[in-house]
Amino acid sequence: MQDTARPPAAAKTGAPVLHSAVDPASEAYAANAAAHAELCAQLREKLAAARLGGGEKARARHTSRGKLLPRDRVDGLLDPGSPFLELSPLAADGMYEGQAPAAGLITGIGRVAGREVVVVANDATVKGGTYYPVTVKKHLRAQEVALDNRLPCVYLVDSGGAFLPRQDEVFPDREHFGRIFYNQATMSARGIPQIASVMGSCTAGGAYVPAMSDEAVIVREQGTIFLGGPPLVKAATGEVVTAEELGGGEVHSRVSGVTDHLAEDDAHALRIVRTIVSTLPERGALPWPVAPAEEPAVDPAGLYGAVPVDSRTPYDVREVIARLVDGSRFAEFKVEYGTTLVTGFARLHGHPVGIVANNGILFAESALKGAHFIELCDQRGIPLLFLQNISGFMVGRQYEAGGIAKHGAKMVTAVACTRVPKLTVVIGGSYGAGNYSMCGRAYSPRFLWMWPNAKISVMGGEQAASVLATVKRDQMEAAGQEWPVEEEERFKDPIRRQYETQGNAYYATARLWDDGVIDPLETRTVLGLALTACANAPVPAKDPSAPGYGVFRM
Amino acid sequence: MFETVLVANRGEIAVRVIRTLRRIGVRSVAVYSDADAGALHVAEADTAVRIGPAPAVESYLSIQRLLDAAARTGAQAVHPGYGFLAENPAFARACQEAGLVFIGPPASAIELMGDKIRAKETVRAAGVPVVPGSSGSGLTDAQLIDAARQIGTPVLLKPSAGGGGKGMRLVRDEALLADEIAAARREARGSFGDDTLLVERWIDRPRHIEIQVLADAHGHVVHLGERECSLQRRHQKVIEEAPSVLLDQATRVAMGEAAVQAARSCGYVGAGTVEFIVPGADPAAYCFMEMNTRLQVEHPVTELVTGLDLVEWQLRVAAGEELAFGQQDITLTGHAIEARICAESARLTGERLDFLPSSGTVLELDEPRGEGVRVDSGLRTGSEVGTAYDPMLSKIIAHGPDRATALRRLRAALAGTVVLGVDTNTAFLRRLLAHPAVVSGDLDTGLIDHEAVRLVDSGIPDEVYAAAALLRHSALRPRPAASKWTDPFSVPSGWRLGGEPAWTVHHLRVPGHEPVAVRVRDGEVRVGAAEPVPAALDVDGPRAQLRWDGVTHMFRHADGWLARDGDSWLLKDHDPVEAALSGGAAAAHAGTLTAPMPGTVTVVKVAPGDTVTTGQSLLVVEAMKMEHVIAAPHDGTVTEIDITPGSTVAMDQVLAVVTPAAPAEEES
Repeated sequence: MQDTARPPAAAKTGAPVLHSAVDPASEAYAANAAAHAELCAQLREKLAAARLGGGEKARARHTSRGKLLPRDRVDGLLDPGSPFLELSPLAADGMYEGQAPAAGLITGIGRVAGREVVVVANDATVKGGTYYPVTVKKHLRAQEVALDNRLPCVYLVDSGGAFLPRQDEVFPDREHFGRIFYNQATMSARGIPQIASVMGSCTAGGAYVPAMSDEAVIVREQGTIFLGGPPLVKAATGEVVTAEELGGGEVHSRVSGVTDHLAEDDAHALRIVRTIVSTLPERGALPWPVAPAEEPAVDPAGLYGAVPVDSRTPYDVREVIARLVDGSRFAEFKVEYGTTLVTGFARLHGHPVGIVANNGILFAESALKGAHFIELCDQRGIPLLFLQNISGFMVGRQYEAGGIAKHGAKMVTAVACTRVPKLTVVIGGSYGAGNYSMCGRAYSPRFLWMWPNAKISVMGGEQAASVLATVKRDQMEAAGQEWPVEEEERFKDPIRRQYETQGNAYYATARLWDDGVIDPLETRTVLGLALTACANAPVPAKDPSAPGYGVFRM
Repeated sequence: MFETVLVANRGEIAVRVIRTLRRIGVRSVAVYSDADAGALHVAEADTAVRIGPAPAVESYLSIQRLLDAAARTGAQAVHPGYGFLAENPAFARACQEAGLVFIGPPASAIELMGDKIRAKETVRAAGVPVVPGSSGSGLTDAQLIDAARQIGTPVLLKPSAGGGGKGMRLVRDEALLADEIAAARREARGSFGDDTLLVERWIDRPRHIEIQVLADAHGHVVHLGERECSLQRRHQKVIEEAPSVLLDQATRVAMGEAAVQAARSCGYVGAGTVEFIVPGADPAAYCFMEMNTRLQVEHPVTELVTGLDLVEWQLRVAAGEELAFGQQDITLTGHAIEARICAESARLTGERLDFLPSSGTVLELDEPRGEGVRVDSGLRTGSEVGTAYDPMLSKIIAHGPDRATALRRLRAALAGTVVLGVDTNTAFLRRLLAHPAVVSGDLDTGLIDHEAVRLVDSGIPDEVYAAAALLRHSALRPRPAASKWTDPFSVPSGWRLGGEPAWTVHHLRVPGHEPVAVRVRDGEVRVGAAEPVPAALDVDGPRAQLRWDGVTHMFRHADGWLARDGDSWLLKDHDPVEAALSGGAAAAHAGTLTAPMPGTVTVVKVAPGDTVTTGQSLLVVEAMKMEHVIAAPHDGTVTEIDITPGSTVAMDQVLAVVTPAAPAEEES
C-alpha cells in the first residue's frame, strides 16, 4: 500500500475542480460586472425601502405605544446572531399604489432556541397589519414552506384582519384567508408545532391565529383577541366595552383560556415563545450525509463579471456552478451527451446537491439527460438544484418529428414526481415549457429565487409580438387586407412592453411567483440556508414491498 | 540552624518565609485551615498540616493547634509571620514552654511594646522623643492652657472619651485657646456626656516613617534604615518605600540611633520596627509612635535596598547566631517601593469612595516579572479569596537605582498585573503612583483620603464593553459537530438578505454601573447609543486582542472578567427582560437593597411590614474589619427581608425591599 500517496480526505470524492475560463480583464467582464452591480444596487434600495414598512410616522406611532417594530420582534425572537432567511421581502412591490411594503408581513426562516422555525410577523405599521390579497398569499406560502420542511411556525400577530376594501380577493376562495387556519389545523395534525404571540390586534378572522395555535402568548394591555371589536359589538348588541375588557391579555389568560401565557411586554412575550420552542421535541436526523463546508475554489465575487445580464448572450453555466459549490468541485454526469443541459453532483455548504443547469436551448437529448439525472438524485436521496436560464425547447419539424414533446414530458415528469427536495434559482430567462422542465413554481420546488437580471414569461416579448403579429397578418391577408409595416410595429410595441414589464423579476416577486429576488453574490448563502431548512424534513423512503421501477436509461 | 521550622501563617507571608527556608536548607511546615487547603503556601511547603476550619480563631489563632502541628512534624522553631499571633506574648511564651523557638523577640518585649503607654514611657526614658502632650486627666481650662503653651502651638484638643476624630479641635493661635476649650468641652459633653479634655502637639501634614532594627541575643543592635509609609488609607498602609525622600543623612542617622535605643530599652531580639510620626515641614521633630515587634508587611523594600534577607537573619538570630555585620557595614543602595494588592472593590458614591472587601476565585493570574521587580504573593490560579482573612493578596515591589526608576518600574509592573476573578486595587495603586504629589515625594498620611475620588476611574471605557461583547459573540459560534459540518443557521452572522446583517445585542452590566447594550455585527460594534466603531477581536486562550477603531488593545479575560493595564472589570450578563419583570417599575427597583460586598449580616433592625424613613438604618453587613450599614433609600414599608443575623451574603444579593410610600400627590 502506498499510504503516503493517498490523497487528502477532501479530495477522495474525486470530483474534478472547475476552473473559470473568463478573462477578468475583458471588456465583456467589466460590462457584465457594471450591469449586475447596478441591478443589485437597485435591489438593495428596494429592500431597504421595504424594510421600513409603513414609514416614519407609522413607525413612530407604533413604538410610542411601547411596541417593538416587527423586524425588532423578529430579531428579538431569533437566537443571538441567527441568520434569517427572509421570504418574499418585496411582496406587493409596485402594487396597491405602494401602500403595502412587503405586503405588511415579514416571513422567513431563522433559528429559535437552537432550531429552525418559520416566523410570520405582521407589520402593523402597514395599514394596521391588514391582509391584502398578496399578504394572504405570502402568509400561505410561509405555511407551505413550514409544511414542506416540517418547520415549527411562530406567528407574531398584530393585525386588523382582512383588508376590507378587497374582501372579494381575500376572503372567499380556497387559497384565501380561511386557508391560514386550515393550514394551522392540518400542520398541527402532522406534528408541526403552531405557536402564536399576540402583540397587537387579532380581530375577527385573525382571532383564529392564536385560537388555532398549539400554544399562545398574549401581551398585557397590548394584545387583543376578539371576533368582533368594540364598534361591532356596539352596533350588534349595544354593549359598550373597551378593547381590553373585551379581549385583552387578562381576559384571555385568566378567564377565556384562549391564550396560555400572559406577557408584560413584547420582549417578555418573545422570551416566552423562545421557551416554548425550547420545549418542542427535537428535530429528526439529517436526511442526507453532510460534509464540512468549503468555500468555492473559484472566487464567487466574479459572478457579476462572468454572467452576462442579457440571457440571450451565451456563456458556460459552469462559470456559475464553479462559484456556488464547495471547493468548486463538480462531478459531472453525461458531459458529452445533451450538452445544452449540464448535470452533476456537488456539495453546497456541506449538503450534497444534484445540479441541473441550462447551457442553451433544450433538445430531446438534453431533456432525456435531465430526466435520467433527476432519477439518479431521486434514487440516491440527493436534493436537486435547478439553475434556470432557458428560452425553451427546440422547435421545428425535425424536432417535433423526433418527439421532443414526449422527451420534454419525461423530464417534466421526473421533476414533478421526484421525492427529493428541489431548489430553483432563475439566473437568466425562464420561458415556456423550459420553466416547467426546470422546476418552475408550478413544480413545487421547496424554494425558488430569481436574480435581478432574470426574466420570466411564457415566451420572450419579441417572440410574443412576432407570433401575434404573424397570426394577425395571416388573418388580414386571408381577408385580403393590407397591413402596413408601421402599423404592425404599432401593434407589436405594446406587446413587447407588456412582456418587458410582466417578465421583470420584481413583477414576479411582487406576486409571489418566487420566494425573493436575490443578489447573485448571496446565492451560495441563501442556498446553504435553504438546504439546511430542507434537511428538517425526511426524504420519503422507497417502499421495499412496492419498489416501483429502477432508473430508466433514457 | 534549625532542621524544621513551622510557619504559623498563611498567604503571601507564609510563602515568602518558606522561600527563605528552602534557600537556606531548612525544612518548612505550613499550616492551613479548611479554606486554604489548596492555597499556594501549602503547595510551596515541604509539609503541611491542617489545623482547623476556616474561622481564624479555630485555626491560625489557635495556639494549641499550632503547637500540636509543630509537635507532629518535629518542628524546632515557629515563624509567626505578621498578624495572627505574631505579637501575642502568650503564643511566644507557649512556644517556649513547648520547647519550641519562637522566631521573634522575647515575650517580655512584645508585652512591653504592646502597651502603648508603657512603651511611650520606656522609650522616653531611653531618650527617644515622643509626641508632646498633657499628662494626667481631669485638667481644668487653666491647666490645659498651660500645657498647650508648654507644648507650643499648634495643638490638638482631644476629648478623653470617644474617638474617631469626633470632637477634636485644632488650635493654631494661642489667643483662641480659651474659646476653643469651651467649645470642645460643649461638643464633648454633647457627644459623649463627658467633657474631659487632653491636649497634644498637632503635627502638620504628618508622615509615617519607620526604622527597621535587627538585634541579636548577644547585645548587638543595628538599624537598616527607614521606610516611609505615609501613603495610607484610613490608617492602613498602601504604598511603602525606602529610603524616605524627606530625610537627610543626619536625620536618618539620628532616627536610626533613636530606634536602636528604643530596641535596647525593651531588650529586643530579632527584627523589629520602630515607627515615628514626622512633621512634613520639620523632619527633625520626629516623635516615637510605637514599636512593632515582628516582621513588617513592607520589609521587602528594606531587603532590596540593603541586600539582606530579613527572614534569614530572623532565623539566624533565633538560632543564637551573632549578627555578622555592624552598623558601619549597612549601606542603602538605590530605592525600593512596594504596593499592596488587596482584594477590594472601589465604590464611588457621589464624592465618597469606599473600598469594600471583595471575594472570588482567581480565574486568571499574571504576576509581573522584570528587572528590579519582586513579587511576594500568596496567589495561584484557582485560589479562593474569601472574606475570612486579611484582604491583602500580594505585594509588588520594584527596586531601581533611583526613586524615579523604581516608581516607573512599579507602575509598569502593576500594569502587567492580572488578577481575574476578584476585584483588586491594582488600578487604583497605579493611578496613585502617578499622582504628582507621589511622584514628587510630597507625601502625607491624609493624601489618599483627600485624593481617592480622583484616583478611581469611575467610567468604563467603551472598548472594554466592546471586547466583552465580542467575546460573548465569539462564544456563540457553534462547536463543530462530529461530522465537522456546521449548520449555517447556527453561525452568529446576523445574516439578512440585502447585504446588511442584523445587530446582535449583548446586554452587559458592570457591578455598580448601569447596564449597557452592546450591538455587534460584521466588523462593527456599537456601545450603547454611540456610533458604530470598526472592531475585531482575536482570542488566543486567555489573551484577547481588540482592534478598536484602528487602535489595538490587549486584554486578558476569564469568565466575564477583563483586564488591561492593571484595571480589571467584571462584565456580567444583563437580562433586561428579567430585570424588567423582577424590578417591575423603576421605582420599585430602587427600593431593592443589595449587599455591597460579600460578608456576614450582623444586625437586622427591621421586620417585614415595618414603616421606615429615608436613611433609617435597616441592617448591617460586616466583612473583615468593615461594617456597612444598609439604610432605607426612601420612606416606605419593608416588604421583603429574608436574612437573619449571621446570614452569609454574596455581593449584590438582595437583602431587603423597601416599597416607597405612596406620594401624597402625583408629580407631573
